[in-house]
Amino acid sequence: MKLTRRNFLAWAGLGAVGAVACEGFGIRHGELNIQSPVRLPEDLVRGTDNWYASLCRTCPSCEGIVVRVMEGRAKKIQGNPFFPTNQGKTHARCEAGLQALYHPDRVPSPMRRSGPRGSGLFLPINWQPNGMDSLRSALQARGSSSVLITEPLRGHLGLLADRFASAIGGEHQGFETIDNNTFRAAVKNVFNQDSVPDFDLENSRFILSFGADFLSTWLSPTRFNRGYGEFRQGEGHDRGMLYQIDSRFSMTAANSDKWLPVRPGREGHLALSLAQVIVSENLQASGVDLDTLAGGDAGIQTLNAFRPEIVAPLAGLTPEMTGGDPVEFLKKLARDFANTRPSVAIGGGSAGAQSNGLFSLEAIYALNYLVGSVGAKGGVRFNPGSPWDGVPASSKVGSLEDWTRITDQIRSGRTTMLMLHGVDPVHGLPESLQLRDAIAQADDLFVVSFSAFLDDTSVMADLILPDRVYLEDWGDDISEPGPGYQSVGLQQPVVNPLPDLDPLSFPDVLLTMAEELGKESQLPWANFKSMLREGSDALYALDRGSIQAVSADEFWNNLLRRGGWWDESSMGPANVQAPNGLLRTIANKASDPEFAGIGMGSDSFYLVPFAHNTLLDGYNGHLPWLQSAPDPLSTVTWQTWVELNDTTADQLRLKEGDIVRIESSKDSIRAVVYTTPAAPPNIVGVPLGQGRRHGSDYATDRPGTESSNVMDILETTLVKDTGSLAWAGTRVRLSKTGDSVSISKLEGNARAVEIGITPAEEIIKTIKPENA
Amino acid sequence: MLPLLVAGGVVTVILGFVLVVLLISWFSNPPFGLGNAPAQPVAFPHTVHVADNNIQCEFCHRNVTKGAASTVPAVEQCLFCHQEIDGVTVTAQTEIDKVRTAFETDQPINWERVHRLPDHVRFIHEAHIRYFTDDTIPVKFGINGEEITQTPDVAQTCIICHGDVANKTVVKPKTGQSLKMGTCLDCHRINDAPTDCTTCHQ
Repeated sequence: MKLTRRNFLAWAGLGAVGAVACEGFGIRHGELNIQSPVRLPEDLVRGTDNWYASLCRTCPSCEGIVVRVMEGRAKKIQGNPFFPTNQGKTHARCEAGLQALYHPDRVPSPMRRSGPRGSGLFLPINWQPNGMDSLRSALQARGSSSVLITEPLRGHLGLLADRFASAIGGEHQGFETIDNNTFRAAVKNVFNQDSVPDFDLENSRFILSFGADFLSTWLSPTRFNRGYGEFRQGEGHDRGMLYQIDSRFSMTAANSDKWLPVRPGREGHLALSLAQVIVSENLQASGVDLDTLAGGDAGIQTLNAFRPEIVAPLAGLTPEMTGGDPVEFLKKLARDFANTRPSVAIGGGSAGAQSNGLFSLEAIYALNYLVGSVGAKGGVRFNPGSPWDGVPASSKVGSLEDWTRITDQIRSGRTTMLMLHGVDPVHGLPESLQLRDAIAQADDLFVVSFSAFLDDTSVMADLILPDRVYLEDWGDDISEPGPGYQSVGLQQPVVNPLPDLDPLSFPDVLLTMAEELGKESQLPWANFKSMLREGSDALYALDRGSIQAVSADEFWNNLLRRGGWWDESSMGPANVQAPNGLLRTIANKASDPEFAGIGMGSDSFYLVPFAHNTLLDGYNGHLPWLQSAPDPLSTVTWQTWVELNDTTADQLRLKEGDIVRIESSKDSIRAVVYTTPAAPPNIVGVPLGQGRRHGSDYATDRPGTESSNVMDILETTLVKDTGSLAWAGTRVRLSKTGDSVSISKLEGNARAVEIGITPAEEIIKTIKPENA
Repeated sequence: MLPLLVAGGVVTVILGFVLVVLLISWFSNPPFGLGNAPAQPVAFPHTVHVADNNIQCEFCHRNVTKGAASTVPAVEQCLFCHQEIDGVTVTAQTEIDKVRTAFETDQPINWERVHRLPDHVRFIHEAHIRYFTDDTIPVKFGINGEEITQTPDVAQTCIICHGDVANKTVVKPKTGQSLKMGTCLDCHRINDAPTDCTTCHQ
């Protein structure tokens, strides 16, 4: 063939196509790689899985888990069948813990701030010398004016944090967006107990719950769900009755036999009304000393101020709600509660979140004395203290008064160092407290965050020293509420951090600092594992409980294998006597709820915030599985919604998907309207948890949009005598923004209708038995 | 006439190209490698480890008698010995340093796979070794049809498919052996092993 210009070009083109084809048909680079991992974990040998017992840390309760680990990677989290609190059951929250482990937004290494505070500009640094030296220098210079803020801590980490803060002359505070201080104070005043009690739902036949959404988020929902299952469907007894008295239609309300949408802040009055009926009709349990409990005739006279005739209209009860005369309904409810034994009264959530919340909860829990349910089967069971001397079994959590004081200290320069672990107070405190501004404007403040993820508070840090996540670290916990006997859970590292991450254990950092600052006398442990091992040896020395071993080493191994230790014979007190004149004392404390802000006009609503079923107060906002887990009632995902009565919505010309502005006197937020006939007409419910400004994309609002964090609009009303935030004491207005979106939810748009007989049933009915 | 010749030439070239691609794809293992030894990140001599020092195959390939994959050893396992053993030659020392550095810097070693079966094939090392090392079966046959009357040990069983790796400085596929489906079927038939599709394909 003659080599012409044309032929040359044709051959060149063909060659190029061939080269591309060869490359295209080839195998991608790396496809044929086979990797020698660096370490030789024992579970890599056979390619089979291992299950390690540990503790779930995605909510404040203490639940035992087992984690499936394969080839050095955690694959699945399930409930630990041995662990007394949850007995093999888990919440969806537990299972999403894997996403914290492999999250793309984890802080990979220590960082120091490189831009203005809050700008989110950081530069990576090394642990040694930069990270640890900076921390040590700051502690040396500012330790005595420092505040260590952590999640509520119990067990050895609680002890370590307390001692560390004390050793450097600082302060340690636990933080919860919705703190349980009012509930704890009520338990202390009514039962004289320091630890949170357990509720024996399993053996109860009548549950009267005021505001406590115990099947979704309150205290220890996994444990309560298990007990609830037995309560409803357990063998050997009739199905129990559940009455939910709650201003919002919660998940527990949805499961109840009767939901009574009481006016917010009137739960205590209603409880005393039931007490009045029980006392006046002499329905109290045998053995109850009414004179002592009520405070004699004077006490009984005081209770008469809470007769159903007075309370029913006060609580906003109508014949439509009660299916007849509300007064008769309350009387019947009191009789049923007193006569269906064992029965238990539970109070929490929004019932204790008004200015008169302490009164309400005390009145509710006092009902248990009248029906003989205190310390009894099917009633309120008390938990014993810690099996270790000095190791806290109860978490200490700051109240709004504490946070107001600390914010003032930051402003005035009396607090010059903040250390944060596992908390985001800027997101979780009312915006009107202005903690964000206080931190931003305090020139002499040094902020250290030990968080594994950025959030609204850690973004303001000068130094970020990322902690390991709980599946990579040691720890322990004392169940609160416990199962009625001593119970300890052990958390062990089930995997190592991924190679591109460089976290250090928070307790180990504290212990290293203590050593370098010469505080070994108060914190003598080399590392946190040795501290836990010392705790294990102390349990071994007790020579009782669920683990039998012939040596301390064997005990430690069994403790790791079982995921904890418990002693069913070491129970809390059974005989708890009521304080003299308890009912009279409580009745004298009665007061009306106060709603600050925009007044009680007909155009305003009671705002009832509630903990999100999976995100809680936002603690899990960065986990996409939990963002996409549908709310059990509305099935809404990924965003803040406002539950609005459908008739009210029609009057306001709002429809599902409309975006409204919710305004209080403090600020406003945006939320998507979710209309439901189950919302009381004068109440709007808004979930906590969304609306971060900084951090993981999964947890944050889009830049430039108005906040969707309900905490931003809360008034700073306090619960009397506890100093806690009355988080359900705000009135709000709704206004249209003109925007509308399609709500991302599973629920269809068609209204529920009766399906009627199905074709299959029709066929079955038409087949005669002899032809079947 | 000239355009016809040109067109014929182009068609011939294209067909030839396609034919070459198909032949390479069929006979090469791995594809486009023609059975050559691929370059490895560390020059690991099986001769020194297996032939000279008599380390058993399953000491490093720990899973080979237990599961599907033979598995390559973790870097940490190399350090079992090479924390102390530095190597005699400069080359050996250089290569051992690479392994130590990988361990110290937490970097895994990415080897190039030499023997590869397609993803739709399920091959269980453990089952094959169990068969060949079974004393109760008097006569077995290798993949080239060779009769095996004396029960092999694990190392001798490896040789049946992988060749005499112990005496190779560089690992490459057994000469003349592509490990294609025909090879598997021939061996299964002669050994009376099942030849159902689902034996190897799930």
